[in-house]
Amino acid sequence: MNSFSVKNVNQIFGTGTAKVHVLHDVNFEADPGSLSLIMGPSGSGKSTFLTIAGGLLTPTSGTVKVNGISYNERSKKERDALRLDSIGFVLQEYHLLPYLTIADQFKLVDKVKPNGNLSPDELDDVLETLGIKSLLNKYPAELSGGQQQRVAIARALYPNPAIILADEPTAALDSSRVSVVAALLKNLAVKHNKAVVVVTHDARLIESADHLYEMSDGYLSVKEPVNNY
Amino acid sequence: MFLALKELKKEKIRSGLIVTMIVLIGYLIFILTSLALGLAQQNTDAINSWGGNRIALNSNSNVDMRQSFLTKDEVGTLSNKESLIGETSIVAKAKSHKQLAAVFVGLKSNEFIYKNIDLDSGRNVKDTHEIVADTAFRLEGYKLGSKVKLNDDKQKFTIVGFTKKAKMNVAPVVYGQLDTWQSLRDITGGPIASAIISKDSKYDNIHKGVKTYDKQQVIDKLPGYQAQTTTFIIMIGFLMVISLIIIAVFLYILTMQKLPNYAVLRVQGIPSKVLVMATIAQSFLLVITGLIVATLLTTATALVIPASVPMAFDIPVLGAVGAGLLVMAMIGGLIPIKSVLSVDPVSVIGG
Repeated sequence: MNSFSVKNVNQIFGTGTAKVHVLHDVNFEADPGSLSLIMGPSGSGKSTFLTIAGGLLTPTSGTVKVNGISYNERSKKERDALRLDSIGFVLQEYHLLPYLTIADQFKLVDKVKPNGNLSPDELDDVLETLGIKSLLNKYPAELSGGQQQRVAIARALYPNPAIILADEPTAALDSSRVSVVAALLKNLAVKHNKAVVVVTHDARLIESADHLYEMSDGYLSVKEPVNNY
Repeated sequence: MFLALKELKKEKIRSGLIVTMIVLIGYLIFILTSLALGLAQQNTDAINSWGGNRIALNSNSNVDMRQSFLTKDEVGTLSNKESLIGETSIVAKAKSHKQLAAVFVGLKSNEFIYKNIDLDSGRNVKDTHEIVADTAFRLEGYKLGSKVKLNDDKQKFTIVGFTKKAKMNVAPVVYGQLDTWQSLRDITGGPIASAIISKDSKYDNIHKGVKTYDKQQVIDKLPGYQAQTTTFIIMIGFLMVISLIIIAVFLYILTMQKLPNYAVLRVQGIPSKVLVMATIAQSFLLVITGLIVATLLTTATALVIPASVPMAFDIPVLGAVGAGLLVMAMIGGLIPIKSVLSVDPVSVIGG
């Protein structure tokens, strides 16, 4: 069974002459252990896809299943719990809580979800890999934009989700960090058997991807092989 | 509570400013309440100390004991639950002492009010030339044995005792004999008292020209009492509402600034309940800190305030006022909750 599947999803905003068909019969699957990259220009529907995939928006038609169960069969509260347990979001804007130290950003997750998070050793590994281990006692305002983004990535990984949805995770990172993050996402997919879905227009991530898709005017198509993109 | 505590710790200046506002409002409310209580007590201490429940007055006195005169026939037969009093305004003066405006209350030595006078020092009145004065006289330098003239009366009265908390209409009370009251009012052989005070809550004098009231009705008609009390209640009420508005505005602004962060937390599946509780806990911590500091300031004020200032620090009343302030602040803290609940996680997806 796929960790994550999207079937015949259509998304229409507005009505009448203001009607905009943003997604057209989108089908997508992500298996554990794979890194899927969805690329496309701004306005192509990538973010809408991610919003629907994360259960934040109910599509006009079609179904999204996580661990075999459709979002339509879950209440809002259950969707919240699902996102907390099974879906890690890495966002373009990192929005760390300004009054929490980096260590406290993880403690907050512990307060809400006491079990199933990364162990201290696993978190240590993630922080070391991202190069932010020495920043635990600092506040977000004391970090550079790139450092904050890496903290946001670590925070998304901390609940140990089965699926990771990333929205332009490397937008604020320099090239050396992009390869580190790409390796980390790939490592999460392969070593930790997670389904990683990255929405981006950063071509530097292509070589890490197992599956490559292109979103264009709301249509999602498969692009193979990866290194020919 | 975790989020609230962390935010207060990090944002010390911002939290300090809000707490300072709450301290000032809380302190002002506590001091105003103490003043209101003090003034109310100085209006009613004497009446309350008598222990009566019902008061019979001349029906044409406009519920004012000083304007009431009762004849022997109007008084009728009294039980041991009733006391007569004769009340009149006086000016007390003595050589090398400040003149004091006071209220003279004449009593009969075989009745319960006389017997219940709570003496601070000295003894009770035994003849017509003796008086027991409120301790306000002592603060002005009068002593046991001081000779005092009352109004233009040529007779001198000796202070034989002092009693605490004997004030009526914010003036100190001077207790003497009922005969002395008649002499001061120049009605010897006429009316025998101003009022009948009864401990019996069902007492009703049915004689013509007499009307019986509950104690509170008489207190409410004391000159200026209602206006004073109402003014303070309105001031305290307004301050409560102002505190609600200030807390609500501060928390609303703080919450609005955090909504993008909250949206990310919502994306990550942090329940709205956690964010709502953080907002409520934050307002609770700010207000409780402010109230604790305000209480300390009020306590310090109580220790240094001169005895002549009419303030009463009644812990149950101040506690109730503090609780009221806390409730108002919590209501203020609920206003931004709607924004927290309606935060749209979708807003942080995409560029």
